Amino acid sequence: MRYSYINPRKKSVFTKEIQLLFTFFSVTLFMLFSTYAFLIFKDQRFMQEMSDIKMQKEENRANIVKMNSEIATIEKQLLLSEKIFTKNSVLRDSINNLFDLVPSRITLSEAKIMENALILHGITPNKDVYNFMLQAPLRSIFHRTYSSFYPAQNGWLRFVSTNYIDNEEGLSSEE
Amino acid sequence: MKSSFSRQNIYLFTLCLFLLVFVLVFSFAVLIPEGKDYRLKRGELKKENLELKQLSDFAIEKEVILQKLQDDNSHAIKAFENEFSSDKFKKQHQGFFSALSITKKSQLGDEDGFSVYEVNTTSEISSPKSFYDFLDAVNKSNWIIAVNFPIAFKRDGEMIDSSFTMRVYNNKDSNSSK
Repeated sequence: MRYSYINPRKKSVFTKEIQLLFTFFSVTLFMLFSTYAFLIFKDQRFMQEMSDIKMQKEENRANIVKMNSEIATIEKQLLLSEKIFTKNSVLRDSINNLFDLVPSRITLSEAKIMENALILHGITPNKDVYNFMLQAPLRSIFHRTYSSFYPAQNGWLRFVSTNYIDNEEGLSSEE
Repeated sequence: MKSSFSRQNIYLFTLCLFLLVFVLVFSFAVLIPEGKDYRLKRGELKKENLELKQLSDFAIEKEVILQKLQDDNSHAIKAFENEFSSDKFKKQHQGFFSALSITKKSQLGDEDGFSVYEVNTTSEISSPKSFYDFLDAVNKSNWIIAVNFPIAFKRDGEMIDSSFTMRVYNNKDSNSSK
């Protein structure tokens, strides 16, 4: 026996309200979990990047220390080489000046240049030429000058001139 | 009085309440602290990146200085690395002398962090000018050489016999490695 003219609709657990609720919460939970996953992923990336940066910084620091040491070595080399080159040039000028000091009438046969002394052997026509033309300039350069003469075969005089520069310490100790 | 809520609605409401509580708890207990941590780490990474950039710039600056020093002074740098060779020295400088002989002496020790050894030289020159030219050439040679006292000149007919010592300076490590 039928009590209604329409057919009964099928009943389901998933009513429209439940479907709406599930849709809403699914979207919400998906967004929450995806945000969480993004944060976890970024966290990992940050850790990786931090470790890379730390390594690069260490490398850079080591490089800088190495380069600083190389720069210091080169500067030290330059300083010493400049000092040596200057010393050689000064020596060249000193020897040049020494030979320029000797007048044409006096002939040198031997010259020995030491750090604080100069020994000259040579021949001079007479003592006056030696005294005025060589000893006088030598006296202005050196602190102590000693000369000795002995006759040469041609009537000229052979001389030995020994000249010393007293260093500062020597002078102060003498005083 | 009868309740107007059906059983289904009560289930629905309970589920809704449970999910809402879960969303709130998850957000406040996990997401927000994690987000704060993310912001902090991002700031820290930015700072570290800036420091790295400054350090890199400084390293590049140093490299440029080093490169310039090396380029400008390659002669002196190489000269300190070269070990003294009597034969090569003679070959390079015999033009200044009529005769040249070199005796290598034992090592003197260290000076300013460089190893130094002394070389005795006897030579024959036609005029002092040759010696001056030699002193100029020594500064451009393949070694760092200081001409040292005593220097002696002795006339021998038309020639001048000369004798002097030279000090050769080397890098400590380059000398020990050879």
